[in-house]
Amino acid sequence: MVNQEQLVDAVKKTVSREDVKYVVGYEKGTYGCEVTPSFAHSSEEAEKFIFTPLCVHNLAIYPKLEEKLPLGRDEKEDTRKIGLVVKGCDSRAVVQIIQEKGLKREDVVLIGIPCTGVVNPKKLKSRYPNYAEIVEIEEKDSSFSIKFNEENHTIPKEELLFDACINCEYPNPPIYDILIGEEIKSTNKETYEKVKVVESKSQKEKWAYWEEHFQRCIRCYACRDACPLCYCKECMVDQLDPRWVRRSVNLSENTAWNIMRALHLAGRCVGCSECERVCPMDIPLTELNKKLEKNIMEIYDYIPGISEEAKPLLGTFKPDDPEEFIL
Amino acid sequence: MDSFVLLKKTLPTFIEKLSDEYDVFAPTRKDNIFEYKLISKPSDINLDFVNSRLPPKSILLQQTETLFKFKPGRKGKILPKEISEDKKIIFAIRPCDAKSFSILDTVFDSDFKDPLYLSKRENSVLIGLSCNNPGVNCFCTSFGDSPTSSKFVDILFTDIGEKFFVETISDKGKKLVEKITDLFEKATEEDKNLKDSAEKEAIDTIKRNMKLEGVVEKLDEIFESQLWHSIAMKCIGCGTCTFLCPTCHCFDMQDEATLKEGARIRVWDSCMYSEYTMHASGHNPRPARMNRVRNRVYHKFSYFPKNSEYTACTGCGRCIEFCPVNIDIIDVIAKVREVKV
Repeated sequence: MVNQEQLVDAVKKTVSREDVKYVVGYEKGTYGCEVTPSFAHSSEEAEKFIFTPLCVHNLAIYPKLEEKLPLGRDEKEDTRKIGLVVKGCDSRAVVQIIQEKGLKREDVVLIGIPCTGVVNPKKLKSRYPNYAEIVEIEEKDSSFSIKFNEENHTIPKEELLFDACINCEYPNPPIYDILIGEEIKSTNKETYEKVKVVESKSQKEKWAYWEEHFQRCIRCYACRDACPLCYCKECMVDQLDPRWVRRSVNLSENTAWNIMRALHLAGRCVGCSECERVCPMDIPLTELNKKLEKNIMEIYDYIPGISEEAKPLLGTFKPDDPEEFIL
Repeated sequence: MDSFVLLKKTLPTFIEKLSDEYDVFAPTRKDNIFEYKLISKPSDINLDFVNSRLPPKSILLQQTETLFKFKPGRKGKILPKEISEDKKIIFAIRPCDAKSFSILDTVFDSDFKDPLYLSKRENSVLIGLSCNNPGVNCFCTSFGDSPTSSKFVDILFTDIGEKFFVETISDKGKKLVEKITDLFEKATEEDKNLKDSAEKEAIDTIKRNMKLEGVVEKLDEIFESQLWHSIAMKCIGCGTCTFLCPTCHCFDMQDEATLKEGARIRVWDSCMYSEYTMHASGHNPRPARMNRVRNRVYHKFSYFPKNSEYTACTGCGRCIEFCPVNIDIIDVIAKVREVKV
């Protein structure tokens, strides 16, 4: 568990710095298990910050989401830093963006949180579908203790965690300025179980599996908008000339979108599962991302977002790069 | 209004009879997602739901719809689309979603009569199903409606245990029941009481409430409020709230063609996208997410009530449930009321 006082202190200290604009963290949401991103511009606003196993959002999207509107005649651009509360995967996303020169290290102040996994709200909601009161949740060793309707429920962690959290190998933020608590020693090993299930299918079955999911897609692009690594100024699907993907929502165009989204994240995705969490049509996007992660690890021995010094995979070339897969 | 009862075990026969004449759309389940789909047999239906993920507006205002086809090139020509007069039944539509059609009518049946929407609307019979177990984010009662409201449907079903309590509301509904009257029995006083208690129980289940008094007037005064900036800061600009909204109706039109054939289509659009208001000149009148977030609230809670008898929100709760960052419309309206002018 994260020490609340220590977190609020760190946020206050950060937001009080002259070179910091605001800090992005989490506060309690409006109902049930909801937690919502919170912006502190002052020490007072830092008081409401929390960190619980319900703090799912990857806040690394916010620096790139900040809109820079045209300046007035006497206005100067505000180049102060943005503070971010980051878990392991969130910090990895920042590392990846820095590697790609999307951000500079000095653009952000990172309040790192060693993370023991966050709750998949879809799993929680399917267990407790009808609640409006704020749910309280505490982590106790290998289970969650949830207070709901005045009753305490104890549920094993792996039943509620995101699949990606269960075997997460990188619970600690690879980069941070302030760390809340102690680093966690993790012995987890990603097993790619779900990926292997799909891999074992025949090509025909694989198509059928993904077609069933893609035909539901409503192309709202929430997967893209929630992804910290989807920060192109103009997404290929928004371009009208040339039009890479048609606007018609049908299996063919949906498939094109979903495959292109996954491939554009190859060697870049840090596996935070935000795309899957926000998908209103429950498409298991993590499985696609994890498949690419697995391939890239096997072929290039590369893991995205763990070292600030590393070069982005797609920006490097070695003469002895394997090429068996090239037809 | 006439009241009948239909035994639950007779429901499949009822649906089969309807299928002879109508395309029947009803809730179906796939994993955790309920969707209104054209069913081929009564067993496709699953009524164990709070509400469908996508609203049934997708039946009358399809996400992608062809307006006409054409042959491109010098000898090109337009191939007009025949407007389908197929009769439809939307079975087990929730009262909130049924209301959304009355709200959509004010858009598609105004100065321009939209033939595609209106032909489907006129050829559809809405068979409502009372919402005995409203969801956590349901708040239809805030708009003076009820989870068992019969106001916007042709026929209303209410689950009262072994039977459905059936009320025929409109002429369309009455005519439909008259044709298969032998399936129904007259409702007794006891049945009516069961319906009333189901209604009371359902209303009691609703925990959330949106206070609307003075909101239209207040919005006139706070267009420049800091509130919109603070909400927009967390908004990630995905269109989930608008796509899942039963009353959002904006669409984009595009020509999609190969060298040989093409079609002009319309497809759902979302005011949450920057591209939605982008002019050909490159100027964008809603340049920031603040402008777009604000517009969504104003369209529903200011412009709509000023121009029609409705607020463009039915209280279905989908946008609350599926917003990735918990922008909660009940909370937004509460904050609107709190802003000091």
